[in-house]
Amino acid sequence: MLFNSLTFVVFFVIVVAAYWSIHSWNARKNLLVIASYIFYGAWNPPFAALLFSTTAMDFWLGRQMSRAKGRHSRRVWLVASVCMNLSMLGFFKYGNFLLLNFQWLLARIGVIYQPPHLDILLPVGISFYTFHSLSYTLDIYRDVLKPTKSLRDFVLAVSFFPQLVAGPIVRAGDFLPQLVRPQPLREGQFLWGLLLMTLGLFEKVVLADTMLSGSADRIFTYAGPLIALDSWLGVMAFAGQIFFDFAGYSTCAIGAALCLGFHLKDNFRFPYAAIGFSDFWRRWHISLSTFLRDYLYIPLGGNQVRPVRAGTNLVIVMFLGGLWHGAAWTFVVWGLLHGSYLVVERVLRGLFEHKAWAGTLTTRLLGGFATYAAVCIAWVFFRASDFTVAARMLGGMFGGHPHGDAILSTREMLQIALVTAGMILVHWSLRDSNIETAVMRLPRWITTATWAFMACAIILTQGNSNAFIYFQF
Amino acid sequence: MPSSISNFKRRLRLPRLFFRKPTEIETIHGGPPLEYVRPIPPLPWRGMTVAVVLIVIAAASAWELYCRSIGYGPTLHDNEDLWTSARRRVKPESIVIIGDSRGWYDLDLDELQKGLGKRPVQLAMGGSCAYPVLADLANDKTFHGTVICSVVPRLFIAPPGSPPMDHAEKAVRRSHTQTLAQRASEYLDMPLEEHVAFLKPEELTLEGLLKRLPIPNRPCALVSPRLPPYFGTLDRERRARMIEECARPGSELARMIQQIWIPLFSPPPAPTYIPKEQFAKMMGDAINQRFKDVAAAVQKLRARGGKIVFVRFPYSGELEKLEDRETPRAGIWDRVLKDTGVPGIYYEDFPDLAGFNCPEWSHLSAGDSVEFSKRLIPHLRVALEM
Repeated sequence: MLFNSLTFVVFFVIVVAAYWSIHSWNARKNLLVIASYIFYGAWNPPFAALLFSTTAMDFWLGRQMSRAKGRHSRRVWLVASVCMNLSMLGFFKYGNFLLLNFQWLLARIGVIYQPPHLDILLPVGISFYTFHSLSYTLDIYRDVLKPTKSLRDFVLAVSFFPQLVAGPIVRAGDFLPQLVRPQPLREGQFLWGLLLMTLGLFEKVVLADTMLSGSADRIFTYAGPLIALDSWLGVMAFAGQIFFDFAGYSTCAIGAALCLGFHLKDNFRFPYAAIGFSDFWRRWHISLSTFLRDYLYIPLGGNQVRPVRAGTNLVIVMFLGGLWHGAAWTFVVWGLLHGSYLVVERVLRGLFEHKAWAGTLTTRLLGGFATYAAVCIAWVFFRASDFTVAARMLGGMFGGHPHGDAILSTREMLQIALVTAGMILVHWSLRDSNIETAVMRLPRWITTATWAFMACAIILTQGNSNAFIYFQF
Repeated sequence: MPSSISNFKRRLRLPRLFFRKPTEIETIHGGPPLEYVRPIPPLPWRGMTVAVVLIVIAAASAWELYCRSIGYGPTLHDNEDLWTSARRRVKPESIVIIGDSRGWYDLDLDELQKGLGKRPVQLAMGGSCAYPVLADLANDKTFHGTVICSVVPRLFIAPPGSPPMDHAEKAVRRSHTQTLAQRASEYLDMPLEEHVAFLKPEELTLEGLLKRLPIPNRPCALVSPRLPPYFGTLDRERRARMIEECARPGSELARMIQQIWIPLFSPPPAPTYIPKEQFAKMMGDAINQRFKDVAAAVQKLRARGGKIVFVRFPYSGELEKLEDRETPRAGIWDRVLKDTGVPGIYYEDFPDLAGFNCPEWSHLSAGDSVEFSKRLIPHLRVALEM
């Protein structure tokens, strides 16, 4: 069920009405579990059973871990949980990818092997809910979370429908405490949630789908060489599209959760105003970057080790982050590129951080511009269907095809330029703030008019039902 | 234990990741903040919400009234879900109409039901190639009914990856993979589409309106030709009918659509990045492959007792000249009949079918479609040996 569909609107109205008309806290939680499984099962009912089995296993493993006396046995239960979750993810998401690469490797040594094509359907949102669930056992092992006694509560924490299929990756430790007792709705919370849902849908259906996706798709699927202007505009269109698509989903999720009385953390914080790549990853897909930081980077030693090891850690983390996004080498290259950006930044910071010119406005602006450009270059690998496309795009961007084709219409170019400029302006003006502060500072009539404008624009797009990009992950 | 082994073991402890207790600092950073509460801006939310609701209702109503005043009326959208609902109605012995928009606009289901004894299922789609649907029916082992296939040569031989193929393939794919949510959306959307005139996904969306902006393009920009505006309605059985404004001879709408067909039916420019000879060979190979694929699908269908007839529906004016010049009868129509051994009905060959005029050069008016269907029935019965 897509947020940008009439089905979801009807579903949400029914769930919210039923939720707030029930007084019993347990009954409300039961309702949310049922609603979440209907939301998920509407894609493919059997996958709801898979979701439940993963959740139930982690619940049981978490319990066993907390009961285990010695460190060794706790470790065994943790390894069981990690293996169970990752093997599930590995089978559904990486099965064919691994087989194809195995075939390629054998061919290199002269062995011809034709692997069977596994007709595996990827359960929607498996990467997200696996991490929701895995965070539970990891936090119990780390002694930062006590296991819950209620299977129903844990099932709800993993499957809570606003964040189930495309994030944010809400850790069980963040959500379970909210299930202990009902949170009273604060003044304006429900309507603020609705405004956030409107904003999220506006980002998705108007800015991502209507203004940018057509141009990005046309550029990335064009089979011929393109001139630099069209290549750069295509990449900038995708940079905007993926931000508005994913940030839009996260904003909708936060808004929907607020309407039901739950609080989810920000997943994006104006990332295209980042100065440097560590700043970028503190602003982009925050729930994934903090997950990788806490459960991978810090346990690897983080930055408390020798510089070479710290750099290696960064590359390992970003390699796995890339692979998390998709079973293709292009995603791996995207991750490695970001890993190398982080390493280079670390080196540059070590060399120049204390120079007087490092903190000037000009340097910061140049740093922001360089960060945006480098992030755009990395997006080429994220969006390209294969390395041939990526090479052709990069060739176009760096002047390799001066006599290439120019395929974008003036209207498309204007749309990309205006939306990108507006996006970067908003990100820079709010880079040290947040949406709540911005709304408080605005005159009320502007907030009201903006809200009405966004709602009208959504209606005018007429329920464009493109799936969210991150559903495929 | 020798030190080398102990070093090795230490190195092997790579998933030290999970196997050590977090430090105090890590617990602070990595540990869950149990009391996270989002800030809520202190604003007069109720008043603002009422204002927003009133503005949205006023704007939507004004837009609806304006759209109706310039000739738009409510109709269902021809999307994959509506097609899927029609596909679900196909029974083993059904009569099925497939192909392009001429099979869609020019056939009247009531007349065909009277004349053929069964109500046909309408699976033709505007601007689409017939092959993916034909292949889908051929691969459906339960189906052994009758297929009436409209042939517009340019669409019939559209190569893989082209919009006519994509359009049909998307619909076929949806019919096999439709989720419960998509099916629910279909049922929820239909009543709205039947009552709201501004719901026109091809035209009156924000994207459609932006496309209409008169902004000049670079001389080399590749811009897709414009699609025709709203000129027909669609019901739940997917029966398409031309609206009166378009059917009126010499109407502004009909004349506008006539001018839109010309670039749409003209061959697209060859890509600049492939040598012309190579491109021509690729196209030739793709067309030959299409004939082979169609013949194979027909054979499969007939082997189960299914029947099929190809029909060339009327077209007129400058479009007739263009189509006959670019896709001459001998090149596509004659060959498809020869390769498949399927009977064909070419409207020109029969005086009772040849006298119709298409107001916008490509489709019959709703009234003419009834008469045309009535006259087509005897020919269909002969061709299908009914």
